[in-house]
Amino acid sequence: MSIMEYNGGSVIAMVGKECVAIASDLRLGNQALGISSNFQKIFPVTDRIYLGLPGLATDVTTLQELFRFRVNMYTIKEEREIQPETFAHLVSSTLYERRFGPYFIEPVIAGLSQTPSGGFKPFIAATDLIGCLNFAKDFVVAGTASSKLFGVAEGLWEPDLEPEDLFETISQTLMNAVDRDAYSGWGCVVHVITKDKIITRTLKGRMD
Amino acid sequence: MPAMLSTQPHGLPHPHMQTEQGPQQRQFNPYTENGGTILAIAGKDFSVIAGDTRQSEGYSIQTRYAPKVFRLTDRAVLAVNGFAADGNMFVKKVRQRLEWYRHAHAKDMPLRAIARLIQTMLYARRFFPYYVYNILGGIEEDGSGAVYSFDPVGSYEREACRAAGAAQSLVQPFLDNQIYFKNQTPAPGTSHPTHLPLPTVLKLVIDSFTGATERHIEVGDGLEIYVVLAKGASTQALEGIRGIQETTVTNDGERVFIIQRELKKD
Amino acid sequence: MNTFASRFSSTSAGAELSKAKAIAMEDDDFSDASWGSEAGYGSLAKGVPTFSIPSVADPTAFLRLHTDDSSDPNCRIKIQHGTTTLAFRFKGGVIVAVDSRATAGSYVASGTVKKVIEINPYLLGTMAGGAADCQYWETYLGIHCRLHELRNRERISVSAASKYLSNLVYGYKGMGLSMGTMICGWDKTGPAIFYVDSDGTRLKGDLFSVGSGSTFAYGVLDQGYHWDLSDEEAQELGRRSIYAAGHRDAFSGNTCNLYHVKEDGWKFIGNYDVSKMHYEGPGDVPGSAGVAYGYDIRVEGRSSADS
Repeated sequence: MSIMEYNGGSVIAMVGKECVAIASDLRLGNQALGISSNFQKIFPVTDRIYLGLPGLATDVTTLQELFRFRVNMYTIKEEREIQPETFAHLVSSTLYERRFGPYFIEPVIAGLSQTPSGGFKPFIAATDLIGCLNFAKDFVVAGTASSKLFGVAEGLWEPDLEPEDLFETISQTLMNAVDRDAYSGWGCVVHVITKDKIITRTLKGRMD
Repeated sequence: MPAMLSTQPHGLPHPHMQTEQGPQQRQFNPYTENGGTILAIAGKDFSVIAGDTRQSEGYSIQTRYAPKVFRLTDRAVLAVNGFAADGNMFVKKVRQRLEWYRHAHAKDMPLRAIARLIQTMLYARRFFPYYVYNILGGIEEDGSGAVYSFDPVGSYEREACRAAGAAQSLVQPFLDNQIYFKNQTPAPGTSHPTHLPLPTVLKLVIDSFTGATERHIEVGDGLEIYVVLAKGASTQALEGIRGIQETTVTNDGERVFIIQRELKKD
Repeated sequence: MNTFASRFSSTSAGAELSKAKAIAMEDDDFSDASWGSEAGYGSLAKGVPTFSIPSVADPTAFLRLHTDDSSDPNCRIKIQHGTTTLAFRFKGGVIVAVDSRATAGSYVASGTVKKVIEINPYLLGTMAGGAADCQYWETYLGIHCRLHELRNRERISVSAASKYLSNLVYGYKGMGLSMGTMICGWDKTGPAIFYVDSDGTRLKGDLFSVGSGSTFAYGVLDQGYHWDLSDEEAQELGRRSIYAAGHRDAFSGNTCNLYHVKEDGWKFIGNYDVSKMHYEGPGDVPGSAGVAYGYDIRVEGRSSADS
């Protein structure tokens, strides 16, 4: 039995044209037994950063609280909002603190970072469970359905998708991937982050 | 080369340090995994069977051209994936049985009969399995395109599309979406097509393999696509395809073509 | 070596098989297959199927090493697992309902598996455990049921058919076969179900469920079961039970295949998508109340959690 497969669940993030999307399934299981179809794995960090935490459910809660605390401390000390790049390094160093007894989580970060000219640039990143950062230009995946997500995303994703097209692409990628994974599914949630709004939609996925 | 006898020093990195430790164990291990991926899609009056040509063991590439897809008859093509030595031997034995059938009955064995033959041949090795995943594609006696997929010990099922091998988990969900239109709702008053045209299928096959090559280290080098056309099926879709070769043998009406494409070699 | 002594010196299953092999495969180099046909059944046509055995001291351990993913998840040959199947007897005959998912590890290898094997027009077998074991031996059972008909000028009883299968797999006990099956049918005694598994268990009963999702199916089945169910009610119970298992069990789901066995043989009732049953119900079918099976769909707007 793998501890990474104990509760199941998957997250994916994709880059679009002046927007990013992050999506996850909603299942919480106890190995083969489905427990909840409303278990959120994606959390807002700031108005323009979302964090996905697939892996062991107990660590999802622990890390969500820990990052909320650390981001609040950063905001108070620095008197400004944290940027996605900085937050990614915060995630990385937090996980590496537990190098020899890790949290069983593979985080995914999606956000828009502020450019010096005042514009916004899409940012996505993922790390392994001890904090090795992967800054990708297209998409990142994590969780029990990661190999399936890679396959579909590689086939469907294209550069410079507008928010609505990016929503469709990430939704199709996630739903078709989790349908081939026994430990993911039971509904999905998608967030599309644009410079002036966040689109959050719950998808009607397969329930088996 | 597959290690026929592998030593397993018990939890110790250096073999010579284990003299005082427990007894050395030796085990007969006739299997290895040679990577690669195969894929087949059935259409209304055609069948497409494809496979990459890389053969690897661990992180090493043994060869960049080792075919995994084989023509059996003018209406049947078999793709094998898993342990290459078992796969090649299995294809050899299937071909031998098909030749005996030809001598006895003066015709080629029908596709569904080949499927059942493969089941019994695989199950005869239930206690010493061929480490091979088989996909059989071709044309049924009624002229429809068909795909049969097998597990290593012979359970089988007729399907419209199937991917197997190293990158099956990357390719299959993509195909679910694009072939079966899973998770897609048709526009009101319309419906999804039950069979896709040949040019669309060929595009999807190439996309599947380029995608798998990008994300899986055991997939790449070359792509070999077999197309089996039913009696009287139009060859229009195949005209003008770069480097297409025909390998039809009989005049029964079914025709077999091969298309070869390059894949990334890194 | 003394062949007479070696032939009779051991009683282990492996030795038994090697003996059968030695006897039956003497003409292996030039078998009936060389005439192009063995009725499609290869060595089966001879009556005794023969199997290749690896030349090692313990063939069973060898097989387990390479195929048993419960003890070694990295083993190379993954035999498909995970299932929900059920069958029950009632006044209107036998209901057989199964799911259609096959998994290899966490990967859903197929969502369209036929887990009901149509042995002949009066007999059905269900499939749980090794897919190939069930498919092969139940097809083999079909051959022998037909031979029984030809020899005895009457159909084989469900009891006899199931005992044939049970005795057959018992002969391979300890060698790694994996099957949990229900042989269902109608004979002179009326509707009958026998549970047969690869350990050699054979049980007659009114109600069985087999597989990783069986506990979920039993929950619904036990609650709704009684002998005097109408045909429509019984079919609905079968469907609803498979839905429950498909919903909760990660290794079951995709679709439900439903069969009804009556005096004149079995009839395929239908194929129902588990997810569609969750959101919309099974559709316009007899016995269905036309409402969604999904709990959160049924209680939407009526739960205390919503306020």
